[in-house]
Amino acid sequence: MQPTPLLSVRDLAVEIDGTSVLKNVSFDIAPQEVLAIVGPNGAGKSVLLKTLLGFFRPSGGSISFAPGTRIGYLPQRFHVDSYLPMTALEFLELKRAMPTRLAEVPAKQAGRQALARAIEQTEISPKLLVTPLAYLSSGQLQKVLLAWALMNEPNLLFFDEPTENVDVVGQESVYSLLHHLQDHLGIALIIISHDLHVVYRYANHVLCLNHTMTCYGEPQTALTSAALSELYGDHAFFHHHHFNEKL
Amino acid sequence: MDITLLTAVSGVLVAMASGLVGSFLVLRRMTLLSDALSHVALPGIALGVLFHVEPIVGGLLSLLIGILIIWGVEDRTRLAVESVTGVLFVTALALGATLAPDTELLEAFFGNVERVTASGAFLQAGVALLIIVVALRWLKPLLITSIAPDLAVADKVPERWMKLLLLMLIALTITIGISFVGVLLMSGLSIIPAATARNLSRTYKSFVVITVILAIVAMITGLEAHLLWGLRIGTVTVFVSAFLFVASLFAKRRT
Repeated sequence: MQPTPLLSVRDLAVEIDGTSVLKNVSFDIAPQEVLAIVGPNGAGKSVLLKTLLGFFRPSGGSISFAPGTRIGYLPQRFHVDSYLPMTALEFLELKRAMPTRLAEVPAKQAGRQALARAIEQTEISPKLLVTPLAYLSSGQLQKVLLAWALMNEPNLLFFDEPTENVDVVGQESVYSLLHHLQDHLGIALIIISHDLHVVYRYANHVLCLNHTMTCYGEPQTALTSAALSELYGDHAFFHHHHFNEKL
Repeated sequence: MDITLLTAVSGVLVAMASGLVGSFLVLRRMTLLSDALSHVALPGIALGVLFHVEPIVGGLLSLLIGILIIWGVEDRTRLAVESVTGVLFVTALALGATLAPDTELLEAFFGNVERVTASGAFLQAGVALLIIVVALRWLKPLLITSIAPDLAVADKVPERWMKLLLLMLIALTITIGISFVGVLLMSGLSIIPAATARNLSRTYKSFVVITVILAIVAMITGLEAHLLWGLRIGTVTVFVSAFLFVASLFAKRRT
């Protein structure tokens, strides 16, 4: 029997300023599952995540979370002003007293414990904690954002993979960290990815999105050449073959 | 030239509140907004003079109307705050210049500490304390909406209300600063100290502490210069703050 999904989306439609951005999107995500969302730029991937987070109101369909679902969010872009005088620790401390989905604001003690735990889970070094945010590499900054997201003890994490300024090593370590967390904490993940390697390696399910859902299923079966061609145009066909040859 | 102790204490509290609010504005890149917004007080001050109401009350009222317009328009139309403020500010300036008598206009621009009454100083000190308490009480949500609005929304921080709260704090700061430094010169106590502190700080804590100290230094120097040589407090605070800003650039280059 399938476990009760953490999140169930049915026939979701979103309009922004009267323009349809998403329609006919339906999927479930079970506990501990990894769902990858792929699609070309401007396909509405970030809009989908942001709608799930409550930034945008759906114009149709339904979004239902299982009771007790706690969401963490790693945004695609986190612009740090180059002069922002704030250390990583000071930034993380801003989260402590914030209202969470748990309704009650955690007491100071609980907040401190949550902070210490998140720092440990993300393996942030003491030196990095006292470094101003502006001096962190994009990989280090993502670790800090991950710690931020983990402080709520989420069981569902949204990760909007950055498209720009990514250092490959940093990105790799964020993924292995996410994988580790998923194994140990049983967190379910929704990843927006631009990298099919990531999809094949980490995802249980993949959802192809180009304003509407063009494929959905396990990566090996759903990401057919035809599905990729439909999603990205014909050149993706070669990319896919090339990738398969390497396997 | 005479300044009572009460006025001086009130001035220091006004400087503290201005510095604190300025620290948000610098982080949020809203530095020019508060400068422009301060002009919105002018028509209210002018109407206050014309209808024999306390000019500062008129100023506060027109500022509150101004921030509600800015907040509402930004919320509903996606126009940037700067463009809305830009339109509002020149319109208010033109209205104020048309309505206000010349002497009143000059005082509104540059401040006149001699006109601060005991009850006025008391009220300013009280409002300054209120600004400080409210800003510190909501420091974290205000900060997070300033530096990472996406995370704030995802964490269910009421972003719209935090924006309005910050605008209210700016309006109140301008109102209590007017009689000391005038509308044109709010930057001297708010923006420039924060910009200077940013050059000198690596941590947020030191940034805020240095901002507030610099604002107090500028205000006390202004009060002293007024007592000794009868200079306008507003102009002196700007000179002091600008000088410290330039000095901070050299200090920064060395570190």
